[in-house]
Amino acid sequence: MQRVVGSILIIIATTGAGYMYGAELSRYLEKMRYLRYVAGLIRGEMEYTCAPLPEVFRETGRRVKEPYASWLRHLAEETDRREESAFARIWNRSIDRDLKELGMKSEHSILLKEMGTFLGQIDRETSDRSMQLYMNRMDLEIEKLREGLASRKKIGNCLGVMGGIFLVVVLL
Amino acid sequence: MERQDRRSQILKILARSVRKIIDEEVPDIGKLQEIRMRTGQPLRITKESRDISLPEGAEEHIVTKEELRETMEYISRYSLYAYENEMRQGFLTVEGGHRVGVAGKVIMEKEKVKNIQYISSVNIRVSHEVIGCADTLLPYITKNRQVCHTLIISPPGCGKTTLIRDLIRQISDGNTYVKGCSVGVVDERSELGGCCLGIAQNHLGTRTDILDCCPKADGMIMLIRSMAPQVIAVDEIGTREDIHAVEYAMQCGCKLIASVHGLDMEEASRKPVLGELIRRRMFERYVVLGNGKHPGEIRGIYDERGRVLCKE
Repeated sequence: MQRVVGSILIIIATTGAGYMYGAELSRYLEKMRYLRYVAGLIRGEMEYTCAPLPEVFRETGRRVKEPYASWLRHLAEETDRREESAFARIWNRSIDRDLKELGMKSEHSILLKEMGTFLGQIDRETSDRSMQLYMNRMDLEIEKLREGLASRKKIGNCLGVMGGIFLVVVLL
Repeated sequence: MERQDRRSQILKILARSVRKIIDEEVPDIGKLQEIRMRTGQPLRITKESRDISLPEGAEEHIVTKEELRETMEYISRYSLYAYENEMRQGFLTVEGGHRVGVAGKVIMEKEKVKNIQYISSVNIRVSHEVIGCADTLLPYITKNRQVCHTLIISPPGCGKTTLIRDLIRQISDGNTYVKGCSVGVVDERSELGGCCLGIAQNHLGTRTDILDCCPKADGMIMLIRSMAPQVIAVDEIGTREDIHAVEYAMQCGCKLIASVHGLDMEEASRKPVLGELIRRRMFERYVVLGNGKHPGEIRGIYDERGRVLCKE
């Protein structure tokens, strides 16, 4: 009886882990989509108000959820303080510090950091074009994530169940 | 945003190495008039009308290209794109109303200045709020505690913005000579109010409404329609549109205080459209400023017929 209960628990646990893996993938996709939404808000604010970056970040920060809100608030404070000779350094540091909890993959983190190299540095037209280019690249990344999502979720679920069964067989 | 003190406003827009020198060498920022940075040249300031290279009594600090780049980053708050229109005119205004003039390589597009790059010179003109500097002027430009249409004529750097700022404050708050009334200010270059996020950093009085960064001609009409001001104040009118808007405002029952670049009344009346207004005696008072003993020195006050009311 104990063996049967133990086997069922193992299978439930590994199936749950598989399911969690799939859910995590969906959450990651959502995070990337939200990041793209934030980038869109920044672009819109820059284009519409033509305000300097600290104001753009402050205003955008009011309209987004955590941790993006604190990230943008800190960015606004740091740019206003004017202690760093290049904006990209403030941007990169803030990503590493405030968006750590997003658990971004290194390629996505690099992509986001690239945005800091052109933000605010050029004329309005070029700045807008660069933002558009960046958002297109983000769309591409999101599309890649979305395409692989269903199959990876399925693999995760299957592996969870199969792994559990395998473990039970081995242990029995 | 809270009002920041003048010292920190100036220091935070300078490259860190220059910031350190100014911080050590200029203990009283109130006396500072200009900071001039030119690539490969000594760092210079103008203090109490004296041109000084820094540090004083030591080897001059030579301004580097990197320091200028860093200063521009701070001046624009890492956002050069936001100051494109201002850069086209060769200067931008920072928090506190301090004016930063720039020179470098001009980029042209369709025979018009598009932007300035490779900035090689920066001139930071420190804005001064001299509370009470319009005290002597006010009795001459008021009648029955009402302000007269007034034109301030002055060459650059003679303190007309400082004078207008104090006039606005006194008219808005009211005193023995003038009954406090609502004042509309069109602050195209953010020099009068020194607005930061729409909030004036300078004292402009309790009954003052400011249209910040708004073209003067449009702003005057907007104010008349929306805020019903009794007095409108504008700095440095120049274009045909500005002067037509001034005339429109005068015909709408508002009293007008404006300033224009010029040496004297004769020079002002030679200006194409403004001259016509002067000949039609639209302005009731003319104030001519000079830079003799001190900035903001009143050289003469005249009435609409050009009769002298007061002379230095």
